[in-house]
Amino acid sequence: MGSKLSYANFSVLLIACAYLAYQFLQDNFSFIYVFENSSNLLPVFYKFSAFWSAHEGSFLLMILFLSGSLAVNNLLFWEEKWIPISNATIAFILFFYLLFQIFTSNPFLTFDILPKNGTDLNPLLQDPLLAIHPPVLFAGYVFYAVTFSLVIAGLFRGFDKELFKNLKLWAGISWFTLTLAILLGSIWAYYELGWGGYWFWDPVENIVLLPWLAGTAFTHSLIYSRNKILLSWMVFLGISTFLLSILGSFIVRSGILNSVHSFASDPSRGIFLLSLFALFAFASLGLFFSKSVLLKSNWPELISKQYLLVLNNIVLVVILLIVFLGTLYPIVTEVFYNQKLSIGPDYFSSLITPLVFVLIALFLAEQFLGYLKSNQRNTLIISIIIASVFLFLFISELNPVTLGLIFVALALIILLLRALVEFFSTKDIKVMHKILGHLSVVLLTFSVLLNHEFSETIDVKLKPGDEIEFSGATLKLESINVEGQANFDSVVASFSVLESNLKKTLVSEKRVYKIGGVITAETGISSSLIKDYHVVLGDRYQDGSWSIRYSINYGIMMIWISSILLLFAMLYGTIRRHGY
Amino acid sequence: MATRIFLVLIMAILVLMIATFSLSLVEKEEIALIENQEGKSLNIVDDLYDIEGNQIPLESLLEGKVLLNVWASWCITCLVEHPFLKSITQSKDVKLIGINYKDQSFNAEKYLLENGDPYIFSIYDLSGEFSLKLGVTGAPETFLLIDGVIVSHRIGEVNMEIWNEKFAQYF
Amino acid sequence: MKNLRNIFKIIIIFILPICAESLYENLDSEELKRLNYLSDNIRCPKCSYGNISSSNAPISKDLKEEIAQLINDGYSDDEIFNLMEERYGEYVILKTDIDDNKTLFLVPLMVLIISILLVTTYTIKKTK
Repeated sequence: MGSKLSYANFSVLLIACAYLAYQFLQDNFSFIYVFENSSNLLPVFYKFSAFWSAHEGSFLLMILFLSGSLAVNNLLFWEEKWIPISNATIAFILFFYLLFQIFTSNPFLTFDILPKNGTDLNPLLQDPLLAIHPPVLFAGYVFYAVTFSLVIAGLFRGFDKELFKNLKLWAGISWFTLTLAILLGSIWAYYELGWGGYWFWDPVENIVLLPWLAGTAFTHSLIYSRNKILLSWMVFLGISTFLLSILGSFIVRSGILNSVHSFASDPSRGIFLLSLFALFAFASLGLFFSKSVLLKSNWPELISKQYLLVLNNIVLVVILLIVFLGTLYPIVTEVFYNQKLSIGPDYFSSLITPLVFVLIALFLAEQFLGYLKSNQRNTLIISIIIASVFLFLFISELNPVTLGLIFVALALIILLLRALVEFFSTKDIKVMHKILGHLSVVLLTFSVLLNHEFSETIDVKLKPGDEIEFSGATLKLESINVEGQANFDSVVASFSVLESNLKKTLVSEKRVYKIGGVITAETGISSSLIKDYHVVLGDRYQDGSWSIRYSINYGIMMIWISSILLLFAMLYGTIRRHGY
Repeated sequence: MATRIFLVLIMAILVLMIATFSLSLVEKEEIALIENQEGKSLNIVDDLYDIEGNQIPLESLLEGKVLLNVWASWCITCLVEHPFLKSITQSKDVKLIGINYKDQSFNAEKYLLENGDPYIFSIYDLSGEFSLKLGVTGAPETFLLIDGVIVSHRIGEVNMEIWNEKFAQYF
Repeated sequence: MKNLRNIFKIIIIFILPICAESLYENLDSEELKRLNYLSDNIRCPKCSYGNISSSNAPISKDLKEEIAQLINDGYSDDEIFNLMEERYGEYVILKTDIDDNKTLFLVPLMVLIISILLVTTYTIKKTK
């Protein structure tokens, strides 16, 4: 009976979503939501993705996903002991989400008249990557709600072997999905925003990073929790991850952060979501503390993998705290001191970079745990001291970033060598996903540092036919043309970059959208493994030349590649136990 | 014992957080993020010219009540507030001077021809330098100067509601 | 047809805003680095987020050029930050000053140190 009801719930929501999607495809602008986010000039694909381009539709999609996961859970795990409590928890969340949707954000409201055309989809969102980024992000949030429901079930029924297996599956899927969403967002920012960056420490980005960091710590704390090590800490993290995702929804959807361009958003939404957060927070944490006596945890030894894991979790939580403070501090000063200030990227990167180095040092320390335990301990300590002395000799000469690069590169080589040695001595790698995951994090750090240290940007003024030499390569503005599309007109600038007889062409555009007259810039990028050439067409000067922003960005491809490797490791680590 | 300390700590943080967010939601008066330029005085360094290229006498800006409006032909919100500016110059004794911001002179002239010209004259600011020093962040913006001192500054569109709130008291 | 295209071309090119002459040519590479540092740490006053080196708003370009001019005139980084803060308010300064915001820097550091100390002493006690 219970499982049938969850299917019915999903089917009804699916019909509701299909109905709304149909209105978008039919250009039925008598629906206020369709009117505000679509127009008849929009390509069909974007008419469909406009469904989740604003608050109401995206929340509906999130509810659909939650209901879908509930149905899948019932389909696959109906026999499990944890199912009743998990179902109850998800149904509880679903109930409040639906109340919120119906009473504050109904996407099915209509006008009495039929407007001729809609006000169009925000041009920045008219991009294939940003069309798929939001659904993936909401799926990530929703999967963490399912993970949370399993944790709650464990609090009531106790954590047994089966529950751990399913908990690891859901935690892995959620972690993978959220990471994918963040990666898609970054790729979009790099290719579409055209500022040459992939991460801006923008409040909205940081809000997504909060549950991701908690989820990262959570997934790691799950590894040894079957031996009751860190069990209660794992439960606490599982609850926090879900709470942070609700907090994220509250902050983004109530508009308390971006007050410059806040749409006159309905204050009742913020109040509802905040109450929801308070309800879930007090209920689940109250439950956690009342049951924590039952969660007898064991404590690891000093020199052990488990102890390193404790340190890893501390560092991750401190990073979380930094992102949390930096993002929300402006709200605090505004409320209590009436002072508006900004926390820039400098704050985050200056505090977080050293902590990432600590994490990498922990990966390395793990490789040498065997030596530390055995009687070779003294040899190891002496070699570490010698190595540090050598490093200190260099410190006076090198700047911190270069030093960091050397450290990360060394870590990369050591990890790689250890993996190879293991492979050739045993013809097998035991925990492939772990080694691959840690390697890709180190590679990612290396690429980010490379990008930070070597990338260069210059603003130039060029007429068609002009050339400029910068950083060993020649940029030429070949031509300026004008083209028209269905929903926008654009000025198209063709460039060529010549470096040591290798010629590459780049195209940058400036688009004027027909509805609303919004102007956007399309970046011209030519990528290779080590460096990207990146041009953005700026404004026109009165004498017919154009301002052009020309950058050489290092390591971008390596950032994407290492992130994809990381995703692969996450996916493999999640499903390998399930016989796939 | 450790659990109890942790419990108290977590609950305290939660309560503090929720209280802060509630206060920030309740706060009706939206604080403008960008400092407006009220209280500062007009400081003109370079010579100013109107769209036709005639030099502008500085006294016309520095004496009495002057309403300065930043506009451009490429700016869509400017077109939206244009009818209101016309109506206000007709119904009240307002000395309205425009600042034509980053515009081509022939586009600007065409815009005024098509939509009517409520301005006594418009300062032609192609480079945007005059506006930048004034503290303009984009178009449209409106300043009220009394004897060269900015007494009221609106970033964004001016309509009846904004007029009553920010400017009407001086007329 | 060709004529029509040309007219069309003129219309779309000319409705775009126009920009002022660049001053960057006067700067040497050291000064260009300072310009990039300053414009990475000053927020675009017109945008919801983002610094003036990463925004398409005309004001950002103007500010960048003004900063280039100020560097050229011999202003120091702090003087330029102060000038911007005076005109647009503290909100546009993205650089976070340690002295003014000690909590922001001290809280994470304290949490890190205290929790590592607590966990380590607890572990040593347990092992014994």
